[in-house]
Amino acid sequence: MVSGVQNSLLIIFFLCISAFIYSEDYQPAKTWFGDPDLQGVWTNASLTTLERPDYFDSLEISEEQVIAAKNNSERFNEALDNPYETGETPESGGDVGGYNVAWMDPGNDFIKLNGKYRSSIITYPENGKLPRRLTRWAIEGPSIYRMFTRADHPEERSLGERCIVGFGSSGGPPMLNVLYNNHYQIVQSPGYVMIMVEMNHDARIIRLNSDHNPDNMKPWLGDSVGWWEGETLVVKTINHHPQQKFRAAIRHQILMMEEAEVTERFTRTGTNEILYQFEVNDKKAYRETWKGEMPLRSTNSKMYEYACHEGNYAMANILAGARAEEKQ
Amino acid sequence: MINLIYKISAIISFSILSLNISSHHAFTAEFDANAPINITGKVLKVEWINPHAWVHVEVEEKGKKTTWMVEGGTPNTLIRNGINKESIKPGTVIVVRGYQSKGKLCLPRCIANGRDVTFPDGRKVFMGSSGTGAPRDGADPRERR
Repeated sequence: MVSGVQNSLLIIFFLCISAFIYSEDYQPAKTWFGDPDLQGVWTNASLTTLERPDYFDSLEISEEQVIAAKNNSERFNEALDNPYETGETPESGGDVGGYNVAWMDPGNDFIKLNGKYRSSIITYPENGKLPRRLTRWAIEGPSIYRMFTRADHPEERSLGERCIVGFGSSGGPPMLNVLYNNHYQIVQSPGYVMIMVEMNHDARIIRLNSDHNPDNMKPWLGDSVGWWEGETLVVKTINHHPQQKFRAAIRHQILMMEEAEVTERFTRTGTNEILYQFEVNDKKAYRETWKGEMPLRSTNSKMYEYACHEGNYAMANILAGARAEEKQ
Repeated sequence: MINLIYKISAIISFSILSLNISSHHAFTAEFDANAPINITGKVLKVEWINPHAWVHVEVEEKGKKTTWMVEGGTPNTLIRNGINKESIKPGTVIVVRGYQSKGKLCLPRCIANGRDVTFPDGRKVFMGSSGTGAPRDGADPRERR
Protein backbone atom coordinates (compact mmCIF):
# COMPACT_ATOMS: atom_id res chain seq x y z
CA MET A 1 0.00 0.00 0.00
CA VAL A 2 2.77 2.38 1.00
CA SER A 3 4.65 1.42 -2.13
CA GLY A 4 1.57 2.18 -4.24
CA VAL A 5 1.25 5.67 -2.72
CA GLN A 6 4.94 6.29 -3.28
CA ASN A 7 4.64 5.24 -6.89
CA SER A 8 1.65 7.53 -7.38
CA LEU A 9 3.52 10.45 -5.84
CA LEU A 10 6.50 9.75 -8.06
CA ILE A 11 4.30 9.70 -11.16
CA ILE A 12 2.67 12.99 -10.14
CA PHE A 13 6.11 14.44 -9.44
CA PHE A 14 7.47 13.46 -12.87
CA LEU A 15 4.33 14.72 -14.59
CA CYS A 16 4.82 18.09 -12.89
CA ILE A 17 8.49 18.17 -13.85
CA SER A 18 7.66 17.25 -17.45
CA ALA A 19 5.11 20.03 -17.67
CA PHE A 20 7.73 22.44 -16.37
CA ILE A 21 10.46 21.27 -18.74
CA TYR A 22 8.52 21.24 -22.00
CA SER A 23 7.88 24.78 -23.07
CA GLU A 24 5.07 23.79 -25.44
CA ASP A 25 3.01 23.10 -22.35
CA TYR A 26 3.81 26.47 -20.89
CA GLN A 27 0.72 28.48 -20.17
CA PRO A 28 1.50 32.18 -19.90
CA ALA A 29 -0.12 34.23 -17.21
CA LYS A 30 -2.98 36.45 -18.26
CA THR A 31 -3.37 40.16 -17.85
CA TRP A 32 -6.27 41.42 -15.76
CA PHE A 33 -8.24 41.84 -19.01
CA GLY A 34 -7.54 38.27 -20.10
CA ASP A 35 -4.82 38.58 -22.79
CA PRO A 36 -1.66 36.45 -22.57
CA ASP A 37 0.85 38.48 -20.58
CA LEU A 38 3.91 39.56 -22.57
CA GLN A 39 4.79 42.42 -20.27
CA GLY A 40 8.25 43.05 -18.96
CA VAL A 41 11.71 44.16 -20.07
CA TRP A 42 13.27 41.96 -22.74
CA THR A 43 16.49 41.88 -24.70
CA ASN A 44 17.47 40.50 -28.08
CA ALA A 45 21.22 41.17 -27.68
CA SER A 46 23.03 38.34 -29.39
CA LEU A 47 26.13 37.46 -31.34
CA THR A 48 23.87 35.90 -33.95
CA THR A 49 23.41 38.26 -36.85
CA LEU A 50 20.48 38.67 -39.22
CA GLU A 51 22.32 37.02 -42.10
CA ARG A 52 24.44 33.90 -41.85
CA PRO A 53 28.19 34.56 -42.04
CA ASP A 54 29.95 32.69 -44.83
CA TYR A 55 31.92 30.58 -42.36
CA PHE A 56 28.72 28.80 -41.26
CA ASP A 57 26.94 26.49 -43.67
CA SER A 58 23.80 25.59 -41.73
CA LEU A 59 21.15 27.24 -39.58
CA GLU A 60 21.93 25.09 -36.58
CA ILE A 61 25.53 25.05 -35.41
CA SER A 62 27.44 22.96 -32.94
CA GLU A 63 28.71 23.98 -29.53
CA GLU A 64 32.28 23.71 -30.86
CA GLN A 65 31.49 26.16 -33.65
CA VAL A 66 29.91 28.52 -31.14
CA ILE A 67 32.96 28.37 -28.85
CA ALA A 68 35.27 29.10 -31.77
CA ALA A 69 33.12 32.01 -32.94
CA LYS A 70 32.90 33.44 -29.42
CA ASN A 71 36.66 33.23 -29.06
CA ASN A 72 37.04 35.09 -32.34
CA SER A 73 34.58 37.70 -31.12
CA GLU A 74 36.52 38.18 -27.89
CA ARG A 75 39.80 38.50 -29.79
CA PHE A 76 38.19 41.06 -32.07
CA ASN A 77 36.92 43.07 -29.10
CA GLU A 78 40.33 42.82 -27.43
CA ALA A 79 42.01 44.22 -30.52
CA LEU A 80 39.35 46.90 -30.89
CA ASP A 81 39.81 47.90 -27.28
CA ASN A 82 43.62 48.05 -27.42
CA PRO A 83 44.38 49.90 -30.63
CA TYR A 84 47.62 51.47 -29.43
CA GLU A 85 50.78 50.52 -27.58
CA THR A 86 51.38 52.25 -24.25
CA GLY A 87 52.40 55.84 -24.90
CA GLU A 88 51.78 55.56 -28.62
CA THR A 89 49.97 58.39 -30.37
CA PRO A 90 47.40 57.38 -32.98
CA GLU A 91 48.77 57.63 -36.49
CA SER A 92 47.76 60.42 -38.80
CA GLY A 93 45.42 59.10 -41.45
CA GLY A 94 44.49 56.19 -39.22
CA ASP A 95 41.13 54.72 -38.38
CA VAL A 96 39.15 57.28 -36.41
CA GLY A 97 37.27 54.45 -34.70
CA GLY A 98 34.82 55.07 -31.91
CA TYR A 99 35.34 54.44 -28.21
CA ASN A 100 36.27 51.72 -25.73
CA VAL A 101 34.34 48.45 -26.04
CA ALA A 102 32.89 48.84 -22.55
CA TRP A 103 30.37 51.28 -23.99
CA MET A 104 28.91 48.57 -26.21
CA ASP A 105 26.56 45.73 -25.37
CA PRO A 106 26.35 43.42 -28.35
CA GLY A 107 25.59 40.23 -26.43
CA ASN A 108 27.96 37.46 -25.50
CA ASP A 109 26.27 34.38 -26.86
CA PHE A 110 24.53 33.00 -29.90
CA ILE A 111 20.79 32.52 -30.23
CA LYS A 112 19.65 29.18 -28.87
CA LEU A 113 16.25 27.81 -29.83
CA ASN A 114 14.97 24.34 -28.99
CA GLY A 115 18.35 23.61 -27.48
CA LYS A 116 20.25 24.34 -30.71
CA TYR A 117 22.50 27.29 -31.45
CA ARG A 118 21.62 29.38 -34.50
CA SER A 119 24.00 30.85 -37.08
CA SER A 120 21.51 33.44 -38.37
CA ILE A 121 18.25 35.07 -37.42
CA ILE A 122 17.01 34.39 -40.94
CA THR A 123 15.37 30.98 -41.22
CA TYR A 124 14.23 31.38 -44.82
CA PRO A 125 15.73 31.44 -47.43
CA GLU A 126 17.54 28.39 -46.21
CA ASN A 127 20.96 29.87 -47.00
CA GLY A 128 20.36 32.48 -44.29
CA LYS A 129 20.90 35.37 -46.69
CA LEU A 130 18.57 38.18 -47.65
CA PRO A 131 17.14 37.59 -51.12
CA ARG A 132 18.01 41.13 -52.14
CA ARG A 133 17.06 42.56 -55.47
CA LEU A 134 20.35 44.15 -56.44
CA THR A 135 18.54 46.39 -58.89
CA ARG A 136 16.71 48.02 -55.99
CA TRP A 137 19.97 48.55 -54.08
CA ALA A 138 21.48 50.09 -57.17
CA ILE A 139 18.52 52.44 -57.58
CA GLU A 140 18.68 53.51 -53.95
CA GLY A 141 22.49 53.71 -53.90
CA PRO A 142 22.81 57.43 -54.70
CA SER A 143 20.41 58.36 -51.87
CA ILE A 144 22.43 56.24 -49.44
CA TYR A 145 25.64 57.85 -50.63
CA ARG A 146 24.24 61.36 -50.10
CA MET A 147 23.03 60.46 -46.62
CA PHE A 148 26.54 59.68 -45.44
CA THR A 149 28.52 62.27 -47.35
CA ARG A 150 26.44 65.45 -47.39
CA ALA A 151 26.14 67.77 -44.41
CA ASP A 152 24.64 71.01 -45.70
CA HIS A 153 21.89 70.77 -43.09
CA PRO A 154 20.69 68.23 -40.51
CA GLU A 155 17.92 66.83 -42.72
CA GLU A 156 20.52 65.43 -45.10
CA ARG A 157 21.91 63.12 -42.44
CA SER A 158 20.61 59.70 -41.47
CA LEU A 159 17.61 59.23 -39.17
CA GLY A 160 19.78 57.74 -36.42
CA GLU A 161 22.15 60.71 -36.42
CA ARG A 162 19.14 63.03 -36.28
CA CYS A 163 17.70 61.11 -33.32
CA ILE A 164 14.49 60.46 -35.22
CA VAL A 165 14.53 56.66 -34.84
CA GLY A 166 17.24 54.22 -33.84
CA PHE A 167 19.81 53.15 -36.39
CA GLY A 168 19.39 49.86 -38.18
CA SER A 169 16.05 48.13 -37.65
CA SER A 170 16.25 48.11 -33.84
CA GLY A 171 12.77 49.65 -33.63
CA GLY A 172 11.51 47.42 -36.38
CA PRO A 173 9.57 45.92 -37.69
CA PRO A 174 11.28 43.51 -37.67
CA MET A 175 13.07 44.39 -34.43
CA LEU A 176 16.72 43.44 -34.92
CA ASN A 177 19.67 43.44 -32.55
CA VAL A 178 22.37 46.09 -32.78
CA LEU A 179 25.56 46.88 -30.85
CA TYR A 180 23.89 48.35 -27.76
CA ASN A 181 20.52 49.42 -26.36
CA ASN A 182 18.96 46.08 -27.24
CA HIS A 183 16.24 46.34 -24.61
CA TYR A 184 12.50 46.40 -25.17
CA GLN A 185 9.72 47.00 -22.68
CA ILE A 186 6.28 45.60 -23.46
CA VAL A 187 3.23 47.15 -21.79
CA GLN A 188 -0.32 45.96 -22.47
CA SER A 189 -3.68 47.63 -21.94
CA PRO A 190 -7.11 46.69 -23.26
CA GLY A 191 -6.94 47.03 -27.04
CA TYR A 192 -3.27 48.00 -27.22
CA VAL A 193 0.24 46.61 -26.95
CA MET A 194 3.08 49.10 -26.58
CA ILE A 195 6.70 48.19 -27.19
CA MET A 196 9.20 50.73 -25.92
CA VAL A 197 12.43 50.31 -27.85
CA GLU A 198 15.46 51.44 -25.89
CA MET A 199 17.40 52.53 -28.94
CA ASN A 200 16.19 56.08 -29.41
CA HIS A 201 13.33 55.56 -27.00
CA ASP A 202 10.90 54.72 -29.79
CA ALA A 203 7.43 53.54 -28.83
CA ARG A 204 5.65 51.10 -31.09
CA ILE A 205 1.92 51.30 -30.42
CA ILE A 206 0.03 48.30 -31.77
CA ARG A 207 -3.74 48.58 -32.04
CA LEU A 208 -5.51 45.28 -31.46
CA ASN A 209 -8.40 44.10 -33.64
CA SER A 210 -8.29 47.36 -35.54
CA ASP A 211 -8.17 48.38 -39.18
CA HIS A 212 -5.09 49.95 -40.64
CA ASN A 213 -4.99 53.71 -41.00
CA PRO A 214 -5.47 55.19 -44.48
CA ASP A 215 -2.59 54.44 -46.83
CA ASN A 216 -1.47 58.06 -46.95
CA MET A 217 -0.51 57.82 -43.26
CA LYS A 218 3.00 56.40 -43.00
CA PRO A 219 4.23 56.80 -39.42
CA TRP A 220 7.70 56.10 -38.05
CA LEU A 221 7.97 52.34 -37.41
CA GLY A 222 5.02 51.76 -39.75
CA ASP A 223 1.32 51.26 -39.07
CA SER A 224 0.89 48.19 -36.86
CA VAL A 225 -2.30 46.35 -35.97
CA GLY A 226 -2.47 43.09 -34.07
CA TRP A 227 -4.66 40.26 -32.91
CA TRP A 228 -4.38 37.13 -30.82
CA GLU A 229 -4.20 33.68 -32.34
CA GLY A 230 -4.40 31.48 -29.25
CA GLU A 231 -1.45 32.44 -27.09
CA THR A 232 0.35 34.22 -29.95
CA LEU A 233 0.20 37.93 -30.63
CA VAL A 234 0.24 38.47 -34.39
CA VAL A 235 1.21 41.95 -35.60
CA LYS A 236 0.89 43.14 -39.17
CA THR A 237 2.66 46.33 -40.22
CA ILE A 238 2.24 48.22 -43.49
CA ASN A 239 2.77 51.77 -44.73
CA HIS A 240 6.36 52.15 -43.64
CA HIS A 241 7.72 55.68 -43.49
CA PRO A 242 9.50 56.46 -46.75
CA GLN A 243 12.53 57.86 -44.92
CA GLN A 244 12.94 54.56 -43.08
CA LYS A 245 13.71 52.80 -46.32
CA PHE A 246 17.36 52.26 -45.40
CA ARG A 247 17.98 50.48 -42.14
CA ALA A 248 21.61 49.94 -41.59
CA ALA A 249 23.80 48.90 -38.69
CA ILE A 250 27.00 46.92 -38.52
CA ARG A 251 25.03 43.72 -38.08
CA HIS A 252 22.39 44.19 -40.70
CA GLN A 253 21.62 46.27 -43.74
CA ILE A 254 18.10 46.01 -45.03
CA LEU A 255 15.77 47.90 -47.33
CA MET A 256 12.14 48.29 -46.36
CA MET A 257 9.95 49.89 -48.99
CA GLU A 258 6.72 51.72 -48.11
CA GLU A 259 4.65 48.90 -49.58
CA ALA A 260 6.30 46.15 -47.54
CA GLU A 261 4.17 43.96 -45.31
CA VAL A 262 5.79 42.68 -42.12
CA THR A 263 4.10 40.03 -39.99
CA GLU A 264 5.45 39.40 -36.49
CA ARG A 265 4.50 36.71 -33.99
CA PHE A 266 5.13 36.98 -30.26
CA THR A 267 4.63 33.76 -28.28
CA ARG A 268 5.58 33.51 -24.64
CA THR A 269 7.30 30.14 -24.35
CA GLY A 270 8.44 30.41 -20.75
CA THR A 271 8.72 32.69 -17.77
CA ASN A 272 11.87 34.22 -19.20
CA GLU A 273 11.40 33.94 -22.95
CA ILE A 274 9.26 35.14 -25.83
CA LEU A 275 9.67 33.49 -29.21
CA TYR A 276 9.79 36.33 -31.73
CA GLN A 277 9.14 35.34 -35.34
CA PHE A 278 8.67 37.51 -38.38
CA GLU A 279 8.33 37.48 -42.12
CA VAL A 280 8.92 40.29 -44.56
CA ASN A 281 7.02 40.49 -47.80
CA ASP A 282 8.55 43.26 -49.88
CA LYS A 283 8.42 42.46 -53.57
CA LYS A 284 10.22 45.64 -54.61
CA ALA A 285 13.32 45.05 -52.52
CA TYR A 286 13.44 41.23 -52.27
CA ARG A 287 13.01 38.36 -54.69
CA GLU A 288 10.89 36.41 -52.21
CA THR A 289 9.45 36.63 -48.69
CA TRP A 290 12.11 36.18 -46.02
CA LYS A 291 11.60 34.91 -42.50
CA GLY A 292 13.42 34.97 -39.21
CA GLU A 293 13.12 34.14 -35.53
CA MET A 294 14.90 34.78 -32.27
CA PRO A 295 14.17 34.68 -28.57
CA LEU A 296 13.46 37.79 -26.55
CA ARG A 297 14.83 37.05 -23.10
CA SER A 298 13.75 38.67 -19.89
CA THR A 299 16.32 40.78 -18.13
CA ASN A 300 16.63 42.20 -14.67
CA SER A 301 18.13 45.30 -16.18
CA LYS A 302 16.06 48.44 -16.18
CA MET A 303 15.12 50.36 -19.27
CA TYR A 304 16.99 53.63 -19.39
CA GLU A 305 15.79 56.65 -21.25
CA TYR A 306 17.74 57.29 -24.42
CA ALA A 307 16.97 60.97 -24.78
CA CYS A 308 18.95 61.31 -27.96
CA HIS A 309 17.83 64.84 -28.83
CA GLU A 310 18.88 66.25 -25.49
CA GLY A 311 22.58 65.68 -25.91
CA ASN A 312 23.12 65.22 -29.61
CA TYR A 313 26.23 67.42 -29.80
CA ALA A 314 27.48 65.21 -32.60
CA MET A 315 25.10 66.70 -35.13
CA ALA A 316 26.47 70.21 -34.54
CA ASN A 317 30.00 68.82 -34.69
CA ILE A 318 29.33 67.05 -38.00
CA LEU A 319 27.92 70.21 -39.56
CA ALA A 320 30.77 72.33 -38.15
CA GLY A 321 33.23 69.80 -39.52
CA ALA A 322 31.70 70.05 -42.98
CA ARG A 323 31.97 73.86 -42.85
CA ALA A 324 35.61 73.60 -41.78
CA GLU A 325 36.33 71.28 -44.71
CA GLU A 326 34.69 73.72 -47.10
CA LYS A 327 37.12 76.42 -46.00
CA GLN A 328 40.15 74.30 -46.76
CA MET B 1 26.26 45.03 -68.85
CA ILE B 2 23.31 46.59 -67.00
CA ASN B 3 23.46 43.77 -64.46
CA LEU B 4 27.13 44.50 -63.89
CA ILE B 5 26.40 48.19 -63.28
CA TYR B 6 23.65 47.25 -60.84
CA LYS B 7 25.98 44.92 -58.97
CA ILE B 8 28.76 47.49 -58.75
CA SER B 9 26.34 50.15 -57.54
CA ALA B 10 24.90 47.76 -54.94
CA ILE B 11 28.38 46.81 -53.72
CA ILE B 12 29.30 50.48 -53.37
CA SER B 13 26.12 51.02 -51.34
CA PHE B 14 27.08 48.19 -49.00
CA SER B 15 30.61 49.54 -48.67
CA ILE B 16 29.42 53.00 -47.74
CA LEU B 17 27.15 51.54 -45.12
CA SER B 18 29.71 49.27 -43.57
CA LEU B 19 32.19 52.14 -43.29
CA ASN B 20 29.76 54.51 -41.66
CA ILE B 21 27.39 52.51 -39.48
CA SER B 22 29.46 51.90 -36.41
CA SER B 23 27.50 53.89 -33.91
CA HIS B 24 24.66 56.30 -33.40
CA HIS B 25 26.46 58.51 -35.88
CA ALA B 26 29.31 58.37 -38.34
CA PHE B 27 32.50 59.19 -36.42
CA THR B 28 34.31 59.70 -39.71
CA ALA B 29 31.98 62.64 -40.39
CA GLU B 30 32.75 64.25 -37.07
CA PHE B 31 36.45 63.58 -36.48
CA ASP B 32 39.56 64.25 -38.52
CA ALA B 33 41.66 61.17 -39.26
CA ASN B 34 44.62 63.49 -39.86
CA ALA B 35 44.42 65.08 -36.43
CA PRO B 36 45.39 62.42 -33.87
CA ILE B 37 45.62 63.41 -30.22
CA ASN B 38 47.35 61.97 -27.18
CA ILE B 39 46.49 64.09 -24.17
CA THR B 40 46.75 63.71 -20.42
CA GLY B 41 44.65 65.79 -18.10
CA LYS B 42 42.31 66.05 -15.16
CA VAL B 43 38.63 65.23 -15.43
CA LEU B 44 36.55 68.35 -14.88
CA LYS B 45 33.16 66.69 -15.24
CA VAL B 46 31.34 63.96 -17.10
CA GLU B 47 28.13 64.70 -18.96
CA TRP B 48 26.13 61.48 -18.58
CA ILE B 49 23.86 62.22 -21.50
CA ASN B 50 22.52 60.38 -24.51
CA PRO B 51 23.15 59.56 -27.23
CA HIS B 52 26.80 59.82 -26.12
CA ALA B 53 28.46 60.77 -22.87
CA TRP B 54 31.13 63.49 -22.83
CA VAL B 55 34.14 63.63 -20.54
CA HIS B 56 35.52 67.13 -19.99
CA VAL B 57 39.27 67.11 -19.44
CA GLU B 58 41.58 69.98 -18.54
CA VAL B 59 44.98 69.65 -20.16
CA GLU B 60 47.87 71.84 -19.05
CA GLU B 61 50.84 72.29 -21.38
CA LYS B 62 53.56 74.88 -20.91
CA GLY B 63 51.41 76.74 -18.41
CA LYS B 64 48.46 76.97 -20.77
CA LYS B 65 45.21 75.23 -19.86
CA THR B 66 42.96 73.81 -22.56
CA THR B 67 39.65 72.08 -22.01
CA TRP B 68 38.78 69.10 -24.16
CA MET B 69 35.40 67.43 -24.56
CA VAL B 70 35.88 63.75 -25.23
CA GLU B 71 33.07 61.74 -26.78
CA GLY B 72 32.17 58.30 -25.42
CA GLY B 73 29.20 56.01 -25.97
CA THR B 74 25.78 55.68 -24.38
CA PRO B 75 25.79 55.88 -20.58
CA ASN B 76 23.03 53.24 -20.54
CA THR B 77 25.59 50.48 -21.11
CA LEU B 78 27.99 51.79 -18.48
CA ILE B 79 25.24 52.01 -15.89
CA ARG B 80 24.40 48.37 -16.56
CA ASN B 81 28.09 47.62 -16.02
CA GLY B 82 27.96 49.30 -12.64
CA ILE B 83 29.76 52.48 -13.67
CA ASN B 84 28.03 55.66 -12.61
CA LYS B 85 28.61 59.31 -11.81
CA GLU B 86 30.60 58.40 -8.72
CA SER B 87 32.98 56.15 -10.65
CA ILE B 88 34.87 58.93 -12.39
CA LYS B 89 35.42 61.80 -10.04
CA PRO B 90 36.61 65.29 -10.99
CA GLY B 91 40.34 65.56 -10.59
CA THR B 92 41.03 62.02 -11.84
CA VAL B 93 43.96 62.03 -14.26
CA ILE B 94 43.27 60.23 -17.52
CA VAL B 95 44.96 59.71 -20.87
CA VAL B 96 42.88 60.15 -24.02
CA ARG B 97 43.98 58.94 -27.40
CA GLY B 98 41.84 59.50 -30.43
CA TYR B 99 41.21 62.14 -33.06
CA GLN B 100 40.21 65.79 -32.91
CA SER B 101 36.99 66.98 -34.49
CA LYS B 102 37.09 68.38 -38.01
CA GLY B 103 35.99 71.72 -36.64
CA LYS B 104 39.02 72.94 -34.68
CA LEU B 105 37.93 76.29 -33.35
CA CYS B 106 38.11 75.00 -29.77
CA LEU B 107 35.38 77.43 -28.84
CA PRO B 108 34.58 77.08 -26.07
CA ARG B 109 36.32 73.70 -25.89
CA CYS B 110 38.34 71.42 -28.12
CA ILE B 111 36.55 68.25 -29.17
CA ALA B 112 37.88 64.71 -29.63
CA ASN B 113 36.66 61.15 -29.63
CA GLY B 114 37.77 58.83 -26.83
CA ARG B 115 39.10 56.05 -29.05
CA ASP B 116 41.09 54.87 -26.06
CA VAL B 117 40.66 56.29 -22.55
CA THR B 118 42.97 55.00 -19.83
CA PHE B 119 44.51 55.87 -16.53
CA PRO B 120 48.19 56.86 -16.76
CA ASP B 121 49.21 53.27 -15.88
CA GLY B 122 47.35 51.93 -18.91
CA ARG B 123 44.24 50.55 -17.20
CA LYS B 124 41.01 51.27 -19.02
CA VAL B 125 38.84 53.94 -17.43
CA PHE B 126 35.70 52.43 -18.86
CA MET B 127 35.97 48.79 -17.99
CA GLY B 128 33.33 46.15 -18.11
CA SER B 129 32.06 43.17 -19.98
CA SER B 130 30.59 44.31 -23.22
CA GLY B 131 27.95 41.65 -22.90
CA THR B 132 25.95 42.73 -19.90
CA GLY B 133 22.27 42.54 -20.63
CA ALA B 134 22.72 39.87 -23.25
CA PRO B 135 20.51 36.82 -23.45
CA ARG B 136 20.98 34.61 -20.44
CA ASP B 137 21.02 30.94 -21.20
CA GLY B 138 23.55 29.85 -18.64
CA ALA B 139 26.31 29.38 -21.17
CA ASP B 140 28.40 32.26 -19.90
CA PRO B 141 29.40 32.13 -16.22
CA ARG B 142 29.96 35.90 -16.23
CA GLU B 143 26.30 36.59 -16.86
CA ARG B 144 24.60 38.58 -14.17
CA ARG B 145 21.63 36.83 -12.60
